[in-house]
Amino acid sequence: MVTYLVRRLLQAVIVLALVSMLVFGLLWLLPGGPRHALLGGAPAGSAGAAALGRDYGIGSPVVLGYARWIAAVLHGNLGYSYVENASVGSLLAASLPRTLALTVTAAGIAACAAIPAGLLQALRRGSVTDQLGRALMYAGYGIPSFFLGSVLIATFAVRLHWLGAEGPQAPGIAGVLADWRDLTLPVLTLAVLTLAIFARYVRAAATDSLAQDYVRTARAVGARPGRVLGSHVLRNSMIPVITLAGLSIPRILAGALVVESLFNIQGMGWQLWQAALQRDFPVLLGFILVIAAGAVIGSLLADIGYAIADPRVRLRPW
Amino acid sequence: MRRALQRHLKLAHLGPRRRAAAGCAGLLALAVAIAGCGLSTARANGRIPVQGGTASYALPPNQQPVYIFPFDSSSYFSVVNTDYFQYLMYRPLYWFGASGLPYLNPSLSLASQPAYRGQTVTIKLKPYRWSDGEQLTADDVVFWMHMMQAVAASDWGGYVPGGFPDNVASVKAVGQDEVQMVIKGVFSHQWFTYNELSQITPMPLAWDRTAHGKSDCVANVSDCAAVYSYLNSIAQSPATWARSRIWRVVDGPWRLASYTSQGVITFDYNPDYSGPAGKYHISVFQERPFTSEEAEFNVLEAGGSDGLDVGYMPTVDAPVPPPDAAVGQNPPGLSGYRLTALYVWGLSYFPYNFGPADPQRAVIGQLYVRKALQLLENQAAIIQGPLHGYGQVTTGVVGGYPTVAKYLSPLALKGDPYPYDPAQATALLTGHGWKLVGGVMTCTDPGSGPTQCGAGIHAGTKLDLTMYYATGSAWLESAVLQLKSNAEQIGIAITLIPRAFQDVINEVTGVACGAPGCPWELADWGLGWSYSPDYLPTGDELFLSHAAANFGQYLNPTNDGLIQATLRTSSSRAMWKWENYLTGQLPVGLQPNSVTQLIETVDTLRIGKQSPTLSINPEQWYFVR
Repeated sequence: MVTYLVRRLLQAVIVLALVSMLVFGLLWLLPGGPRHALLGGAPAGSAGAAALGRDYGIGSPVVLGYARWIAAVLHGNLGYSYVENASVGSLLAASLPRTLALTVTAAGIAACAAIPAGLLQALRRGSVTDQLGRALMYAGYGIPSFFLGSVLIATFAVRLHWLGAEGPQAPGIAGVLADWRDLTLPVLTLAVLTLAIFARYVRAAATDSLAQDYVRTARAVGARPGRVLGSHVLRNSMIPVITLAGLSIPRILAGALVVESLFNIQGMGWQLWQAALQRDFPVLLGFILVIAAGAVIGSLLADIGYAIADPRVRLRPW
Repeated sequence: MRRALQRHLKLAHLGPRRRAAAGCAGLLALAVAIAGCGLSTARANGRIPVQGGTASYALPPNQQPVYIFPFDSSSYFSVVNTDYFQYLMYRPLYWFGASGLPYLNPSLSLASQPAYRGQTVTIKLKPYRWSDGEQLTADDVVFWMHMMQAVAASDWGGYVPGGFPDNVASVKAVGQDEVQMVIKGVFSHQWFTYNELSQITPMPLAWDRTAHGKSDCVANVSDCAAVYSYLNSIAQSPATWARSRIWRVVDGPWRLASYTSQGVITFDYNPDYSGPAGKYHISVFQERPFTSEEAEFNVLEAGGSDGLDVGYMPTVDAPVPPPDAAVGQNPPGLSGYRLTALYVWGLSYFPYNFGPADPQRAVIGQLYVRKALQLLENQAAIIQGPLHGYGQVTTGVVGGYPTVAKYLSPLALKGDPYPYDPAQATALLTGHGWKLVGGVMTCTDPGSGPTQCGAGIHAGTKLDLTMYYATGSAWLESAVLQLKSNAEQIGIAITLIPRAFQDVINEVTGVACGAPGCPWELADWGLGWSYSPDYLPTGDELFLSHAAANFGQYLNPTNDGLIQATLRTSSSRAMWKWENYLTGQLPVGLQPNSVTQLIETVDTLRIGKQSPTLSINPEQWYFVR
């Protein structure tokens, strides 16, 4: 296990290095070159331009520029945004807690609801409960988040005044989580989509498991229904959920652009989108690197999760 | 000034703009009238003004101040940084915007109107004080000017080569409250005040320092670069601004109390403010950022304790105003708010490319072609359609709204000189050697005769143009689609290329392609140009040959001569003469002036008539009960 982890970590480092080279190299391919991409129309003699040269090695060959940039990244310096007049690290520190509080809460709620819902549907396959559940899941999957969010705001914030029309504006994860009145609608909007996806996968996996020989055997030898469900069906049904959870980490980090925009949450997704619109390449570079790291870590965690959920899965280095 | 473009860069997503509420109907008119009146009206209507209170104000979507030092480089030269933030704390020497017009406002200026004698300008300061107890002196103005002389070329967003401060031979304090400048060249007094002195923001001597201690930029220009470097460096940590001993020294009516990581900015009223303020005024002013217009509008509609006192309505949700009214009736959900429309002082246009990189420059160079295109720009339909009635017809090369008779020629005041007329547009083309071939107008009679296509246009040339436009603005997308459709009906092909706002700017400025520029024929980023801090619309920055913002590289010696005349005299006739001539030449396409902001103000707050320069004066706002 340890050898496996070490090798996977080394693999992750290589992947991250390649991603960083790719995104940094793209700067040199942009129209106008890296100086223009990073500074826009700022005059060459400005204070910003001078700092830029230091941070990104502008004026040096691309390899030297990359070396300088990656050295700074390894020292915790993700760069500086001249659009936002703030370090990329501080922008990340401000937006990441909001996004995590929103997306992790939504994913957690969705997972907690999706597993029993999916299992129930699988157990009562073809019944009215299953049909109704499937219809709801399709609706949840198909409904655009901006529409759902707008309906929820119009109903619960504008008409009934029960909940807030915007997301929590408090700093830090604790502050965001404490403001349940403002957190409810954006979390609900996000959770509906995630719930629909998770539940469909759980239902499909549980349906497969219920048809397996080992389940029939367990029942035949007189195992209690709860044990059959918990030890044999649920455990095997978790594989796709683990895959989805692992793959959703970059999505969680990238945030939920539409929901953040609709609910006035300056999270990572919104920040990334703004950076793209404003050609704020220091922010794009820094955030993409963090999201790429999230993707690699998510994949690693999913692999470990497989092994825990299913001992038949052998952890082979490559 | 270059700043004007930067304003547009930052205001691109604001969408919209306004006009005085002349002739409002029914209750709405009453509400608007109350909004524009003073205390006596409030009392007359049984509402009692109250002292104090917190007013929350919605910032434009996706925008929040990011720079506090009121010496903005081009990266930070924006309405949000200056008008909505810095000017609240650090007052410019001369304030522009009075009674809804873009005029010099003497009562809010730090100095009396400048006195001109020959090449010498004398500025007499009023008795203002900084919040640290120091008096505002001539040295504070000299401090700014020396900073300009040291670093303007690289770090002042409004810098134009040859302009301020290059056109100032010397500046000195001739007393504690008097500054003298000697100007190079001959300029009209009005132009120099409105377009050059308008840039100055006095700085307190407490800022004349570096990380190593006190400096002397006031006396030595050579010290100023280091001072700028220091002030610029400490302006880069928004979290520290409210605690900074430097930034807390203010001469404006507001002092920064907090700036949260969410971008919520709270100002406390400066008890030491020595300028004019109302007897009743709010005591706390809070600016709130929003990720989108929809998010802001949701909060506005939801109301409650987290609600807004001053917000805005997206144009797509705007109620169509009845005939002769400035605004429509608020929807029931916003019955507690008053709706007003604000239009920026500017020129709404899209440039044509006369530059060498334009493959159709010979076609664009023909006046009859530009006239035909202008006759296909249906301004009235754009205003009634995508703008929901919230737009003003642009009648010439000087901004037509707010209507400033001093600047607008009698001809421009008459209305659209090129009303939609596809038949006339067709006649212009067919009368110059163009015929429909395969559905596209094609030159069949090349040559430079009066009925021929024109110099440089070969036989078989098709009237096929490329137009870049900025995405993200619903009305603009509709407007360019309408122009394309109108043009196609008479055989002019326009290929629309949607781009992000910044990319359109990069195209027109040539940054995206390098010299000699990019191969476009028309480009539209939505708003054109706002006059600030160049409040006098003389055209020297937009239309003078080789001017920095002459994006289309329009060259015309006659026009240059007429513009130069407007710089040397304050006479309206010189302005009108130039304006009438250039409007006839159509160096740019004229399009409607779209509403800048549809302001929603809670019924219990009085904010007065808002300025088309987009500056705000919350020290004059007060609640009523």
